[in-house]
Amino acid sequence: MMVTKEQVKHLGWLARIELSDAELERYTEQIEGIVKYLDKLDAMPLQQVKPIATRKKFADLRPDEPAEFEGDALGTKYRKDGFVKGPRMA
Amino acid sequence: MMEQKMGLEIHCQVTGTKSKLFCKCRCDYRGKAPNANTCPTCLGLPGTLPLLNQKAVEFAGMTSIALGCKVPDEIAFYRKNYFYPDLPKNFQLTQYNAYDITSIGVEGGLEYGDGKSVRIRRVQLEEDPGRLVYDGGNMETSVYALIDYNRAGVPLVEIVTEPDFVDPKEIRLFLDKITSIVEHLGLCGTKLEGSVRCDANVSVGGGKRVEIKNVGSFADVEKAVRYEITRQKTMTSRDLEVRSETRHWDDARKVTKESRTKEEEQDYRYFPEPDIPTVVLGSEFVSSAQRSMPELPDARKVRFVKHGLSAHVAQVLINNKELADFFESAIKFYSSPKEIANWIVTDLMSFVDERQKEQERSMFAGLKVGPEHIADLAKLVDQDTINRATAKQILGLIVRPGEMPSQVAHKTHAGKIDDVSELAQTIDSVFETEHAAVQDATLNPNAINFLLGKVMQATKGRADPKAALEMIQKKLKEV
Amino acid sequence: MPLYTLGAGQVAAGVKSREFSAEEYIQQLLERIEKVEPKVNAFVTINKGAIEHARTIDKKIRDGEQAGPLAGVAVSIKDNICTKGIRTTCASRMLESFVPPYDATVVTRLQDAGAIVIGKANLDEFAMGSTTEFSRYGTTRNPWDISRVPGGSSGGSAASVAAQECAASLGSDAGGSVRCPASFCSVVGMKPTYGLISRYGLVSYANSLEQVGPIGRTVSDVVSVLNAIAGADENDHTTVGGKPVYTLQERKGLRVGLVREFIEDTDPAVAKMILRAMDTLEGQGCKCKETSLESVAYALASYYTIATAEASSNLARYDNVRYGFDMSPEGYEWNSYFAKARSSFGEEAKRRIITGSYVLSSGYYGKYYLKAQQARSLLKDELKALFKSCDVLIGPTMPILPFKIGEKIDDPLKMYLVDIDTVIANLAGMPAISVPAGFVDGLPVGLQLMADEFQEQTILDAAYLFEQAANVRGSPEL
Ligand SMILES: [Mg+2]
Ligand SMILES: [Zn+2]
Repeated sequence: MMVTKEQVKHLGWLARIELSDAELERYTEQIEGIVKYLDKLDAMPLQQVKPIATRKKFADLRPDEPAEFEGDALGTKYRKDGFVKGPRMA
Repeated sequence: MMEQKMGLEIHCQVTGTKSKLFCKCRCDYRGKAPNANTCPTCLGLPGTLPLLNQKAVEFAGMTSIALGCKVPDEIAFYRKNYFYPDLPKNFQLTQYNAYDITSIGVEGGLEYGDGKSVRIRRVQLEEDPGRLVYDGGNMETSVYALIDYNRAGVPLVEIVTEPDFVDPKEIRLFLDKITSIVEHLGLCGTKLEGSVRCDANVSVGGGKRVEIKNVGSFADVEKAVRYEITRQKTMTSRDLEVRSETRHWDDARKVTKESRTKEEEQDYRYFPEPDIPTVVLGSEFVSSAQRSMPELPDARKVRFVKHGLSAHVAQVLINNKELADFFESAIKFYSSPKEIANWIVTDLMSFVDERQKEQERSMFAGLKVGPEHIADLAKLVDQDTINRATAKQILGLIVRPGEMPSQVAHKTHAGKIDDVSELAQTIDSVFETEHAAVQDATLNPNAINFLLGKVMQATKGRADPKAALEMIQKKLKEV
Repeated sequence: MPLYTLGAGQVAAGVKSREFSAEEYIQQLLERIEKVEPKVNAFVTINKGAIEHARTIDKKIRDGEQAGPLAGVAVSIKDNICTKGIRTTCASRMLESFVPPYDATVVTRLQDAGAIVIGKANLDEFAMGSTTEFSRYGTTRNPWDISRVPGGSSGGSAASVAAQECAASLGSDAGGSVRCPASFCSVVGMKPTYGLISRYGLVSYANSLEQVGPIGRTVSDVVSVLNAIAGADENDHTTVGGKPVYTLQERKGLRVGLVREFIEDTDPAVAKMILRAMDTLEGQGCKCKETSLESVAYALASYYTIATAEASSNLARYDNVRYGFDMSPEGYEWNSYFAKARSSFGEEAKRRIITGSYVLSSGYYGKYYLKAQQARSLLKDELKALFKSCDVLIGPTMPILPFKIGEKIDDPLKMYLVDIDTVIANLAGMPAISVPAGFVDGLPVGLQLMADEFQEQTILDAAYLFEQAANVRGSPEL
C-alpha cells in the first residue's frame, strides 16, 4: 500500500497533531514501511473466522446505583466559577 | 414533481436511570454547580474504564421493543472518534451496525397519526457529551469557552428513522407519539430542558441529502424542515445545485445555516470498544423486558375506549402522558370517565396558554386545576347540582386560583334552586309583571314557554326548568 | 547482608518478626536508590511518603495488628499505573503534572497486602516501545551493562528490581512489555491471562491486549505479588473469575513443547541457551518435544494493527483541557489548541497514533482491524490445539541480546520485530512468564514459558522448577 504525504497530513488533522515538514517527510516513509508489513494480513485465510471478543452476561452488568465521587477529579488550574476553561470555538 | 423525503434522528436522554451510562454519577445533573456531578470516569481520566449500566440497557431494549425493532442476542459498543471540547475522551461510546453486531434495536416500524407509518432503522444507546457555555454568552467575542461536564456520560437513546416522511406535518404527529412512548416507558422526562434533541435530514426531488442539526426542541423540527424544503426548492427552481451538507438550526432566527465545521473531513474511525465486553442479552431479555414494560399509549387508548370514551378523545388523551395521567387520576376521585374526559379535552384544554406551555413544557403550565377539581365539576353536573352552562362558568373561575368547583358553586349560590318557596316567589313576581302573557297562556299552552323563559332569566338560569314548568302550569290553573 | 538485597518473602518475614523495621528497610532502599539511580535511571518519581507509610506498618506490627503478606515490601510501580496523590506521567510531557485522584485497583490491593510504593518506574511513553528509550524522563539503562537498553516498555520496573532498588515491581504488558525487560535485565516477569488482573487505573495503551504483570528477582516473589493483585474487580468489566491463590510447588512430568518458529530467526547464541534450558527441564523430569506454531507468521502484523488502532483512540483524550501540562487555553481556537498541545507527544507515540488512525480510517477497518482480530482467533485456536499435548510452550523471550542504547531507535519496523515471540501470548490472551536462562558474554537471556488461559499455576510450576535447577547468577555489580 502506497502512503502519501497528503494522507499523513490528513491523518495528522484527524488525530489533531501538528506535524512539521520534517516529521511529515519522516512519518510518511516510516508509515509506508509499517503498513506494508501489516499487509501480511492479506495473505491470511480468514473468510470464515469470527473475530475474537470477550463476553459478559446482561445480568452481570453494573446495577443502577448512584454514588458520589469524593474529591476533585479535575487537574487543570484554568477554571472559572466551577467551569473548566477551554479554547474558544469559532 | 418535487417530492420531498425526510428522516429523523432523535436523541432522548435517559432520565429514568439513577446513574450515568458508564459511571456512578447521577443522571440528574440539572441545577447542580458546574462539574460537581463528575468523577474520574465521566471526565475521561487516564486509567478509567466504562462500567455499563444495566438499567440503561433495559430501557434501550424496551424502547426498541416499543418501536417494533428486532433485539439481537448480543450487543456491542463502538467508539466514534472525533475531537470536540465537550467530549472528555474525544470519542463517543455509541453503537453501530457492522460485522454481525448491531445496535440494541433494528428494523422496526411505528404507526402514528391516522394510519401512517414510518420504518425505524435502529435504536442505539450512547453517551451524552458535556456542555459548553460562553463567558458573557457570546461565542464570537469570548477568548475561551467554559465547560461543564456534569452532563457527560448521561445515557441517550437514539432513534433513527428511514426517510419515510413526505409532509412536515407528519413529523409533528410522529414526534408526539415518540414523546408519549418514551414518557410512558419512564425512559425520558421530555419536559426537562435539553432532554430531547432532534436532527432531521431532508432531500427534495430525489436530490442530495441535507442534514439539519442542533434542533433543540421537538416543536421546532417541523419549522426547520419546512424552511429547508423551501430553501431547497427555491434553489432547484433557480437551477442552483443543492449540496450534500450539514446545516445548523438557528434557533433565534428560525433558519438553517451553513455549518462552520467541515463535516466532510470527519472520519469517525469506528471500532468496537475493547473495555466493554460483548453483552449477551440472551433469549430471556426480550420476554422479561416485555413483562416489566409499562402500558404503552396504544394499549392505554384501547383501555380508555373501553371506559366509553370516543376514539378521538382517547387519542387526544394518550398523545400526552400528562393528560392521560390527569384523566386517570380524575376518574379515581369520581368515576364518570366520559364526562371527565370531555371536560378535559374540550373545556380544560381551551385554557392552556400555548406560550407558557412551551416555556414550562407542561400542558398545565400556569393552571392550578387538578384532577380532583375536574372530578368535582363532573360530579356537580352529573348529579344535577348545576347545569352545564354554569359548570363552564365555574371552570373559568377556578382554573387559575385552583378553588374547588363545589365551593365556588356554594359561595356564588350557583346551585339550582331546590327551595320550592324561593322558586314560587319568583314565579309569583313574574305572574305579576307579565300580566298579559299570563292571560295569553291560560288560553294558548304554547305561550307558557315565554313565562318559563322569564323565570329562568330572573333566576339567572339557576332554576330547574322542569320543576319551574310544573309550578307555572299549576299556577295557571289557579288563575 | 544489606536489607535491600532481600526478596519480598524475606522482607515481610523480617518486618513481621521485628528482626528489622520497615522504616530501616525503606531507609536503606532510599540510600541504595540514591547511589544507583545516576547510573540506571529506573525511576520517574520517588514516593516521598514511603518512609511515613513504613512507619504506619511498623506501628501496626507493634500494636499486634495484621500487616499483610507483603508487610513492608517495597514495590515500584510503572508510571502508567495510577497512584492517588503521586503524579503519574506515562513518561510523557502530556501528563507532566497529572496527579491521579484515585488509586489503580492493583495499587490498592498491593497496599492492602502491606506493600509500600517506593516510586514510579520509567517506561516508554504510554508504554509504546521495547527499550525505554522513548521516555520524556531519559532512557533507563540496563543494570548489567549501562550502555545497553533494559528492554521495554516496563524498563524502569525491571531495572529497578534488577538493580535492587526495590523487591518487586508492577509493569504492564501489551506485547511483551513486562517479559522483554525482565529478559534483558535477568529478572522474572509475568504477563497473566487477559482478565485475571484489573486494569482499572492502568492508563490504556492497547486495551484488548494488555495486563498488569508482576516482576521480581525470583519466581517466589512473583507469586507473592500475583496473589496480592489477581482476581476479578467490579471496576473492570473485562476481569473474570474469583480470587485465585497460587503456590510454589514442585511438579514432575510436565509436558513441554519447544516452538520451532521461536528459535528459527533468533540470535544463535540465544537459541543455544534455550536448547540448553530445554535440556535442564528434561533433566528435571519434564517430557520435552519440538512443536510448531504456524500463526507466528501473522502475529506481529496483527499485534501492531490492533495496538496502534486502540492507542490512536485511547490517546485522543490527551487534549490538555482537563489535566496535563501547563498551557493556557485562552485565545486559542480549539482545533489549533488541540493540535498544538498534542504535538507534545513524543516521536513513537505520534507515529503509532498516526499509524492507528490510518488502519481505522474510512474503508480500511475490514482490511486491517477486523482481519487482525480474526488472526487472533486463528492463533488462539492453534494454541488451544497445542495445549492438548503440551502443558507449557517454551522459547526465548527475546530473539536477541540486549542491544546498545540508540542502536534501533531510528528504524521503527526493526524495533517492532524484536517483539515477535512475546506478542503471541497477548494476542491469545494467555499467560506467559520470562525467567532468567543464563548469560551470553555477560548479557542476560530469558526463557519464555507460556500456558493455556488461566493456567498460571502451571507456568509458575515450570518456571520454579527451571529456576531451581538452572541456578542463574544473581544481581549485577553497580
Ligand atoms: Mg448519536
Ligand atoms: Zn462520573
